[in-house]
Amino acid sequence: MAELLASGGTVEMARVVLDSGADAVYVGAKGWSRRRAQYEMDDEEVIASARYAQSLGKILRVAFNTLPSSSEVPLLLAKAEKFVGAGIHDFILTDVGAIRALAERFPGVQIHASIGCTIVNAEDARFYKEAGATQVVTECRMDREEMGKIRQEVGVGVEVLVHATTCYTYLGRCTMSSYTRQEWRFDEEGKNHFLGSPNRGGLCYRVCLTEWDQRGEDGSVEAGRVVLPNLAYFLVDDIPGLIDLGVTTIKIQGREYSVPLVGNMVRFYRDLIDSYLRDRSSFRMEAWKERMAGIVSARDAERREKTASLISESGLSA
Amino acid sequence: MLASESPSSLELVLTVPSPRDLSDTDLSPYDAICLGNTYCRRVEGNFAENLGLLPDAVAALHAAGKKAYVTSPAAPRGHDMAQVKRLIDAAVSAGADALEVHNMGVLRVLREKGIPLPAHMGAYANVYTHLSARVMRDYGAVRVRPNAEVSLEEMAVIARDAGVEVEVLAHGKIPLGITEKCFLLEGPEGEDPKCPSACREEHWLTAGSPKQARNRSGAGAWVLKNVGKGILSGKDMCVIEHLPRLLSEGFRIFGVEGLYESAAYRSEVGAVYREALALASSGREYALRPEWGRTLAKHSRNGFCNGYYFGGSGQSYVGTVLQGGNSQV
Repeated sequence: MAELLASGGTVEMARVVLDSGADAVYVGAKGWSRRRAQYEMDDEEVIASARYAQSLGKILRVAFNTLPSSSEVPLLLAKAEKFVGAGIHDFILTDVGAIRALAERFPGVQIHASIGCTIVNAEDARFYKEAGATQVVTECRMDREEMGKIRQEVGVGVEVLVHATTCYTYLGRCTMSSYTRQEWRFDEEGKNHFLGSPNRGGLCYRVCLTEWDQRGEDGSVEAGRVVLPNLAYFLVDDIPGLIDLGVTTIKIQGREYSVPLVGNMVRFYRDLIDSYLRDRSSFRMEAWKERMAGIVSARDAERREKTASLISESGLSA
Repeated sequence: MLASESPSSLELVLTVPSPRDLSDTDLSPYDAICLGNTYCRRVEGNFAENLGLLPDAVAALHAAGKKAYVTSPAAPRGHDMAQVKRLIDAAVSAGADALEVHNMGVLRVLREKGIPLPAHMGAYANVYTHLSARVMRDYGAVRVRPNAEVSLEEMAVIARDAGVEVEVLAHGKIPLGITEKCFLLEGPEGEDPKCPSACREEHWLTAGSPKQARNRSGAGAWVLKNVGKGILSGKDMCVIEHLPRLLSEGFRIFGVEGLYESAAYRSEVGAVYREALALASSGREYALRPEWGRTLAKHSRNGFCNGYYFGGSGQSYVGTVLQGGNSQV
């Protein structure tokens, strides 16, 4: 049965999503995930949240999914050792070298190849499996046929984001944000947070979402106020098909959203999945659409506010 | 060759997408050419797509004493993999010296075929650590071009500890992103009448206050180059001020980005770097010649940048000679 995985941007959010029906929660180790530090947890918070998940028979997964410096790998392994010692066995990583190092150092741990790996074909999935990944997050626009191939032929878990953002570029292969602004900032453990680089430490300034002018060779404006397509989506219609396909994990992103909103989203997906599993033949999606509309509207309002603040923070003058 | 046994000879390598671009460019400054366009299979005359073009192109480069590499698609979907397999076979049979690889699936196919030619990992392969380069080495990689965000300091560690050569982007637009759909088309690729001519023209994305415009693109604070299925920097990466440092740190392979540029750009930028590298490696005092700066500036609509190499924003410029030490020109 597909696992419902949701975001734990704070200790409170982790608890709420587990209480709202998520089977698993993912949290970022501070400095080591694709979000800024305020949506990540320090080691003690990670361990306490993991204990709570375990007490419910659920899973806490730690995201180490930044692309680090070579010199930071020992920090990563030391932190992983601490978590493994505390009974945490589930991790999310991007750097393929770090995946192999972790798999070799801690045999038996579950490693998910992150969305940042940009897995666009089944051979990609095979590569990450050989490096030590037990599950892969498929690129947001991957078709069902390729997902099925990964599940059946490659033989690794398939994780699908049903509530996330399709960036203008391929996520994990984009450095537009750090091109406009990047600062190196080291924490007390020596980890560089690479502010401005979502691939390396979180905090994407979402520069693609500003209004652009498209200009031609002579500098004249070909099109004003151009929007680079970048959509927050809600793949509710796809869920029955994904369950039928045998995907391993259905993931809801949202560490930066408010706790009540994330809680509502989790409860919505939990109810929908359970309803489908109870009786697949008589399941009708229409009834769920109305309930979804309220959540989408709340989500979009929070996202608009966040985007405006990030673009402003990136240093673009009006 | 392992990085610890760094080649003593320099290599200046240029990317060239198509036969027309190849024949229009003065290749004499370059030691190696990487053929094809990694962003889009439909680019006119793309060497990585029109495989019948490879034998003559590779033979001509070899006859001129140059290495010939062939690139591969940066983000192939499952339905593109059959073409990837044909591409590898064609590159091998044409006698190419290496395959440029950005996608791990492509790398895996290469190993499945017994690594019939070595792999050079491209900028979108996301090499950030020596450990990831080592994994790729096990699949046939002998060279990596780290992701644009990787600093010189970090690249030196990869060069020292990964057992592969490291290529440094010396000059040209920085690759910032690849997209699934072509931004310049309204209809589907292949059906829209603007395909494939739209990306032969220049298109810039600009944002910010026009008051800040100090460049020929008419741009404000931010400029990006949109090439349809890719986003490149608006400014030109430029390391000409820093060549002595790069050489002293052991870097020997320098790339010039020739995709979506004019023949004059490729020819003249190459000539400048060939001269500059000769001076920087001669042991004589290194100083930028004014004509180098003039030539590079002529081909740079939006100024220079190199900030990623020094741990800052990609679009900033670190240096004291070009741009008068102004990081934001």
